[in-house]
Amino acid sequence: MISGGQNYVSSAPVFSNDAKRLLVCTGSTVSVFSTATGSRVSSLEGHSGPVTALVVVPDSSTLLSFCWTASVDGTIRHWDFSVPECVKIIDLHFPVFSMVVPSLLSPREENDAKTRPDVFAYVSVQNPNAEANCLSPRCGQIRKCNLTNFHAVSSLILKETERPESLTISPSGKFLGIKDKRKLHIWKVPKVDSDSAVSKKITLHHSKTITVLALHPMERIVAAGDVTGRILIWRGFGAQKFMHSGGLVNGRSTNDEEDKPGVRENDDAESCSTWHWHPSGVRLLSFSSDGAYLYSGGKEGVLVLWQLDTGKKNFLPRIGSPLLYFVDSPDPSLSSISCADNQIHILKMPSMEIIRSISGIKANICEGLCSRAAFDYTSGLVAVQTENYGIQFYSLFANRGLYEVQVCERNHQPVDEVTVVVSLVELSVDGSMMGTVEVKLPEDGVGGLVCLKFWDLDDNKRFSVSTLIYEPHRDAHISAIAFNPTRRMAVSLSYGGDFKIWVCKEEIKQKGQMLQNSGWMCHAVGSYKNKAMRAAAFSADGSVLAVAADNVITLWDPNNNVLVAVVGETLMPITSLGFAGKSYYLVSVCHGSKPQLSVWSMSRLAAFWSYKIQIEAVSFTIDFSYFAVLALLPESNEYAFKGDGIILLFNVTNPTPMASWSVTKAKGGGLAFLKGYPSEQLQSLLAYINGDREYVIFHPHSKEAFELSRIRQDDHVLEETGQFGYTSIYGELPKFDPKRNLTSSISSAASERPWETIFSGSSHMLPPLTKLCSEFLESLLEKKTPTVE
Amino acid sequence: MEEARVQRSFPVKPKLKSKARTPKQTAESKYWSSFKTQQIPDLISVPSLTFSPTAPHSFAAAHSASLTLFSAQTLAPTATISSFSDAVSCASFRSDALLLAASDLSGLVQVFDAKSRTPLRRLRSHTRPCRFVHFPRLDKLHLISAADDALVKLWDVAEETPVAEFLGHKDYVRCGDSSPVNSDVFITGSYDHVVKLWDARVGDSKSSLQLNHAAPVEDVVFLPAGGMVATAGGNSVKLWDLIGGGKLVYSMESHNKTVTSICVGRVGRDFGEESNQFRIMSVGLDGYLKVFDYGALKVTHSMRFPAPLLSVGYSPDCSTRVIGTSNGVIYASKRRVKEIEKEKVSESSLFWRVAPLEHTEKKVLRPSHFRYFRRGQGEKPSEGDYLVMRPKRVKLAEHDKLLNKFRHGEALVSVLESKNPGNVLAVMEELVARRKLLKCVSNLDVEKLELLLAFLHRYCTTPRYSRLLMGLTKKVLEMRADDIRGSQALKNHVRNLKRSVEEEIRVQMSLQEIQGIISPLLKIAGR
Repeated sequence: MISGGQNYVSSAPVFSNDAKRLLVCTGSTVSVFSTATGSRVSSLEGHSGPVTALVVVPDSSTLLSFCWTASVDGTIRHWDFSVPECVKIIDLHFPVFSMVVPSLLSPREENDAKTRPDVFAYVSVQNPNAEANCLSPRCGQIRKCNLTNFHAVSSLILKETERPESLTISPSGKFLGIKDKRKLHIWKVPKVDSDSAVSKKITLHHSKTITVLALHPMERIVAAGDVTGRILIWRGFGAQKFMHSGGLVNGRSTNDEEDKPGVRENDDAESCSTWHWHPSGVRLLSFSSDGAYLYSGGKEGVLVLWQLDTGKKNFLPRIGSPLLYFVDSPDPSLSSISCADNQIHILKMPSMEIIRSISGIKANICEGLCSRAAFDYTSGLVAVQTENYGIQFYSLFANRGLYEVQVCERNHQPVDEVTVVVSLVELSVDGSMMGTVEVKLPEDGVGGLVCLKFWDLDDNKRFSVSTLIYEPHRDAHISAIAFNPTRRMAVSLSYGGDFKIWVCKEEIKQKGQMLQNSGWMCHAVGSYKNKAMRAAAFSADGSVLAVAADNVITLWDPNNNVLVAVVGETLMPITSLGFAGKSYYLVSVCHGSKPQLSVWSMSRLAAFWSYKIQIEAVSFTIDFSYFAVLALLPESNEYAFKGDGIILLFNVTNPTPMASWSVTKAKGGGLAFLKGYPSEQLQSLLAYINGDREYVIFHPHSKEAFELSRIRQDDHVLEETGQFGYTSIYGELPKFDPKRNLTSSISSAASERPWETIFSGSSHMLPPLTKLCSEFLESLLEKKTPTVE
Repeated sequence: MEEARVQRSFPVKPKLKSKARTPKQTAESKYWSSFKTQQIPDLISVPSLTFSPTAPHSFAAAHSASLTLFSAQTLAPTATISSFSDAVSCASFRSDALLLAASDLSGLVQVFDAKSRTPLRRLRSHTRPCRFVHFPRLDKLHLISAADDALVKLWDVAEETPVAEFLGHKDYVRCGDSSPVNSDVFITGSYDHVVKLWDARVGDSKSSLQLNHAAPVEDVVFLPAGGMVATAGGNSVKLWDLIGGGKLVYSMESHNKTVTSICVGRVGRDFGEESNQFRIMSVGLDGYLKVFDYGALKVTHSMRFPAPLLSVGYSPDCSTRVIGTSNGVIYASKRRVKEIEKEKVSESSLFWRVAPLEHTEKKVLRPSHFRYFRRGQGEKPSEGDYLVMRPKRVKLAEHDKLLNKFRHGEALVSVLESKNPGNVLAVMEELVARRKLLKCVSNLDVEKLELLLAFLHRYCTTPRYSRLLMGLTKKVLEMRADDIRGSQALKNHVRNLKRSVEEEIRVQMSLQEIQGIISPLLKIAGR
């Protein structure tokens, strides 16, 4: 069983100490990626719930690779991620939503080795009692726990919030803060921490809901972004409370308003300034490691670099997706940004160039307009429409994004409402042809456009546009595309009640070398009683075209465009159609108030059997007469099946399912048979992709717990040879070793007969006596060759 | 791993236009259509055209009872010979272009001095109209003629007597040609469907070879190698292999009416695959000139003229092509020769002369000269050089810059002023996608609105643009009704708009009528 397609951007990634690895929370595992190649190196598996927090233990020598992870399953684990193995498990019994470990960040004292203080973590947990207790809605708690000697979570609750908030820590480890609606709470971490040590707290107020905050690495500066796109910077926070030891508790009474420009409600800060560039809420804020710059980003997908002193801006535009996290690495020339479309971009730093991308499957866009993803049977690819008018190809076996093609050449602004959409993508069985439909929605009835594009694989196995057809069915929208499995032929259907058969003329070789592709041409047009057509399928030998015209199935001869037969009538319009392998059976699916799954016999032109179930997706094998359906269960049944959907495997001749699997998040899911990856596996595999674009591939026929050895085609990562940090700029420093330096600076000429040569040469070149003495004496001794008994 | 995404900004692009499925012109057909045609009018049907074999390749055109010489450079008549008693049917230059022979329908063959145009010899022996006269290519002393009395004669020009008579044809003999490799061999074609190969050395008037064209033979020509002949008659041009005993090689049947004349021409160009290859040019009564590649056995170029064509000639230097028609117009075409090619030609013709010494001494550049500061900038990189490329800058149009700055109204105005309808539509579609088009329209001031209305008037009925523009026009008129009422200029635009819409409606009505006529026919045909 292969699973993949995890969400890479559920929480912020973390760089390892040498910046060669990037640790990413991927569901209940942590994936370790190589920053040099962008491919997955290993993964830390063990948590049973989604991992929410990740802390790499910093180390100046960059050799150690330990990290702490916290998860919703209530445990904190300590890992050595270079091996990778779990070193320690701490069970908190509370779902953890955020964790910071301040003591790891603060520089250790010299006598650290002997009296190592306990390591304390601050966790943001959900109080399980709060759910039952409806009266107190504040279920988020900020607590402390001792990681070195764990007994139980400290009973001291620093703060209670409505929902578990994420903790932010300053890079120096001195302060930590959370946002709580329109307030910021900042604590000073006590020098010597213990379970009961009370941290000092200040609160900063704002008039809008705060979305994100960041703490300056050196100074007492905090930046916060709000929902309107404003960035507020408080300088010198906690001047009274944190600096003066306990004396002035009531700061409210003493200071005047004039002394503290911009600070509200007499908060404990010296000044507050506001920057406003973002048009919508700020999603990410981060100080650069030297504290001179502030990075900010939001929904519009532009990374803004603010010079902290002057407020001057620099931009990295056209990232194309809302930004979520910005993470600095120990290597000053690398950093990463996480985007909402499940991509992590690695930036080359001073120039802010995207040098590499780690991409997951992009999320579903606008349910109503788009059809579901297309699968490539032979190579195990899934093609999904992306928000920036492209198609992403994702390898299901390798669990990584391969490439993207741009369908519609238009600048994407994530803030805008959706007006242009790639509504349909379809791949041929052999994966060599692709059809896409893009729809431009009209503005108040003016200027809509539907374009059909056919794509061919080019020399380096990527799709390139072969033919572009504007408005193939006048202004009616296209409902489906189907490819003929045997020829270069396709059919496009429209809601306007007609279908067109397209034929690709073979490439004409002209003058030996010049290839001239003549592209796709309309071969025939057909319609049946002007009924809207929603689904079509070619038979396995390509000789019959079945087109669903509203609620009847019409059979056509695609070559001569002749209506051969009309089959049956369903209660609701047919939305999906397919021939079951090479058999004479046709499967149709209806949605709506009377959903139906029916199997039609082509030899008798009559219904064979049918079910009344809501079908989300259906997939057919190429060679056998099996098909699989993904059925949505009614809500009353959800508890019985532990999921909201069920996958049923049928043989067409038999209405009782051969196998069934219950699945979760079936709404918006997809199902596909894939060719078994190593060619010796004759039977095809079944891939299920759920509504969140997580997928699983399994063997549909093996009765035992389907355990497929995970196929890793290229998991061995080329060890990166690149240098980072100082060495990347100035090259390798010679190793500074005081002892070796002393000896190597003196050229000692120890030859075969040292007693003759030792004292030759000028006196200042002579080696020290301590060095010569032993050699001299040694040379005087008679050498005994050991005799072997 | 996915490679780093290139950050791109897409400028708005007009919709693609559909391309022709086949490339419009092959390189060769481009060559043949590079001849610029001009008409030489006011003649009466031109049955024969012949080029002088030596430079400057002037040509002679037979028309009615006179023979006119034209200059190939200016295509202007230089002289006319009119000492004929009947219509001139055929003319031929001797290989050194000093003599010119012409036959007329009285059966008389006259030989002229080509320069002074004085008649030197009168060869009278044919009793019927003589339609063919020809100087052999390698023989300066003899002349071949053939006439409607089915006789072919070989003349000694100096003595004005026929040396030999060849009997064998059973009908009018209208054409012939002499071998380019042997001075004694020639062929003639006759209306009895037969082409005969004669050898002057064989005295007993027996043909050495006989080819059956299966139609009255209108023209016959030797191909340059001398081993093959092409014959024209009926709708077809046929290729025969003489060395292989008169075997039919190919029959080209792309003319619709009788092929009247053929000639051999060379693709006179120094580059390309087909340079210096020979082609057969054929003209027919259907008005088509076809260029036939007898190596690849296909027609490589075809061209139509608005009259039945009778004769074709092509100058040996490949620069002039003349076609005579039955209504008395000569279509003379000259190829535009570039200066470089001309130079090459002149150089190659002077190859034996001593070329002028090249400048061996190279001038040293000094800072006093402007070129000193630009030295080395035009250097081409050599093979091993590492190229440091500057990233290409995307050139954005004005409207793209404005769109990038979200200044939508200004972008619309700027593209309307640029007068490229494709771009205007692209900007409008982009504005629709941004949901800003109607806002832009409502914010236009009166002058700019005039610009928009002028554009709408001009293009809203164009089928490529009408889908968007029709809807937009309606919206504009609804939204800006008050402004339009207030301004006279706008009212004028609206009136124009109304007129073009009315016309479009009329067109649509008539199209529907036609559709109504056709659709029952199609229904019947489909049954």
